[in-house]
Amino acid sequence: MLFLIPPLEKEDLKIIGHSLSNICYLSGALLLLPIIVAVVYEEFDVIPSFLIGSAASIFFGSLLSFFLYTKREMEVKHAVVMAAVAWLVAPFFASVSFWLANALSSYLDALFESVSGFTGTGLTVAVNIDHLPRSVNFLRHFLQFVGDGIGIIVISLSILGKTEISSVLAFKGEAKDTGIRPSIVRTSRIIVGIGLTFLIIGTSLFTIAGLKEGLDFGTAFFEGLNLSMTGYATGGFTPHSQNLLYYHSFWFEVVAIILMVVGALNFNLHYAVLGGKRGEILKNMEVKILLLWLLVVGSLVSANLLFVGLYPSSEALFRKGVFQAISAQTTTGFQTVYPYHLMFMWPVLSVLLLVAAMVSGGCANSTSGGIKMLRVGMLLKSLVREIRQALMPKSAVVTGSFHHVEDTPLTDKMVRGAATIALSYLILFSIGTLITVGHGYGLEDSMFETASALGNVGLSSGITSPLMPATLKAVYIFLMWAGRLEIMAIFVLAGFIILGLRKGIKE
Amino acid sequence: MSKKIFSFAFFAICILLSTSAVGAESGKTLVENSANFDGKTVVLRGEVIGVMERGDFAWVNVLDGEVAIGVWVRNEDARKISFVGDYRHVGDLVEVVGTFHMACPEHGGDLDIHADKFTVLTVGRELDRPLNMPLALLSVALAAGAITLALYLRHVRREREKMVPVPSY
Repeated sequence: MLFLIPPLEKEDLKIIGHSLSNICYLSGALLLLPIIVAVVYEEFDVIPSFLIGSAASIFFGSLLSFFLYTKREMEVKHAVVMAAVAWLVAPFFASVSFWLANALSSYLDALFESVSGFTGTGLTVAVNIDHLPRSVNFLRHFLQFVGDGIGIIVISLSILGKTEISSVLAFKGEAKDTGIRPSIVRTSRIIVGIGLTFLIIGTSLFTIAGLKEGLDFGTAFFEGLNLSMTGYATGGFTPHSQNLLYYHSFWFEVVAIILMVVGALNFNLHYAVLGGKRGEILKNMEVKILLLWLLVVGSLVSANLLFVGLYPSSEALFRKGVFQAISAQTTTGFQTVYPYHLMFMWPVLSVLLLVAAMVSGGCANSTSGGIKMLRVGMLLKSLVREIRQALMPKSAVVTGSFHHVEDTPLTDKMVRGAATIALSYLILFSIGTLITVGHGYGLEDSMFETASALGNVGLSSGITSPLMPATLKAVYIFLMWAGRLEIMAIFVLAGFIILGLRKGIKE
Repeated sequence: MSKKIFSFAFFAICILLSTSAVGAESGKTLVENSANFDGKTVVLRGEVIGVMERGDFAWVNVLDGEVAIGVWVRNEDARKISFVGDYRHVGDLVEVVGTFHMACPEHGGDLDIHADKFTVLTVGRELDRPLNMPLALLSVALAAGAITLALYLRHVRREREKMVPVPSY
């Protein structure tokens, strides 16, 4: 079939390169923000690392912008390839800052941390989080907010790009292709607006909780800001090695749950509710499935933990069992249990339920990862339709529909698309698990960690650490990247490269 | 490796050595053998990385170099702490003798230690974090260079766009 696809032109590379330059400029600007934190906390010694990361980003961006300048508009293939490459380029410059700040023990670890941040995963290889400079810690959390929370690629194109077309297409590349409104600039503003609103609400709530729980105002505000950024982005980084256990606080966990659930809901739903359609929450198929699945996983995990008698009270079952279920389902990765306990003391059924939650994920067009509830819903509806069809007379035609902001007929094309993504996801999950097992880890741990990396979750069975093999770090970097792009963009990028190699690049 | 990493590694080794002293358990041992230690009196030594007062008591998070554990102590003990460990400080090195809970019924199932005895072994200190001047100068030069290059290339591109193409005959 390759002969049917037209060969690549030099102009194709220019379109992609020129769009990437915007990402580089924005990354360069964003890397300057931690400098403010460094100045406030008198961490002057780490400022050069941010400056160099920022300078490298701007330098690279200006070269791309000059040498690959073009006025031609993007097509879908360019947008998808650009998104796939951008999710590697943007973390690269942030990793330079992490590395120069001596925040991580090797460059590979710095890249791992940066990719984990940008993709909103939350797995960490930082050696000593409790002693990191506050500005570096801020950068870790900020990357999750801009990378996953508000989608840096769309924002960069809509702010810095020339037209809206490129942004609409980039939106497709980022797998958020059911736009809220026809105007992408307006859409971007809405996404940023929603993100900033929940950031303010979350920071305020965490600050109040922090003051109530014995933190001073400065610490409560700073840590509240960081936790809000990663909570809403369903990222899962925290400023301390104990994760949320550090705070020993029911109220911190309640605020975290609110942000995680809000972040896992579809942007379309936020927009509909903000527009006065409050009933949408109860009618939306995706939300109904998410809440039902959360209820099922949370209840089963709690019941399982109660059965084995691991926790002494209903409060403990909620703060450990239900919290971890919500954290897994929303693909956040906040942890209130030590990884060792999760893998070696929790019953296998509970761990497998968490794996299922991580693989299925939150809503489409949200900050969460995984296969996504919209696709799960379509596949379930399709299954029901097939069963009904089998029971009906041969001549009968069974149709299906679902409500997702508006009533939508379920077409075969939709089901095929959902099935393709789900299947690709499960294949990558299996390959990732096999590779992890091949490195000498147990099957249960391997499934858990792979689901966490691929679903951009961040819960850890303890495998992810600075001491894990370098090859496994590289594999998890790939899985986090593929998971963030919902896999298809990777295939398109691979096709693009193969096409270039086989047919060459025409002038 | 930089001085920072070296000093951190040295400090971590000191803490690990102190926890391996007779009677003290490492945080990792406690977490990985929680069921065996549940309800028993244990000794933990480590650096203070967090203090949060809650009424008459306080949570003190103690890091033994590898794993941090929350310790529930009386306020008067928590107030003995001078330094909390972070980037600019080495926290006080403390020794806790108390009851270990794998899932504390009083604290929502948290793994914790309720301290009976809390001793500050070594008072922490402020860390000097000097600016690396050559790196600082290099970073400023690179930043200035990158911005200049971006502006210059933008100018050249605009000038090129203004040029009217010569018609070919």
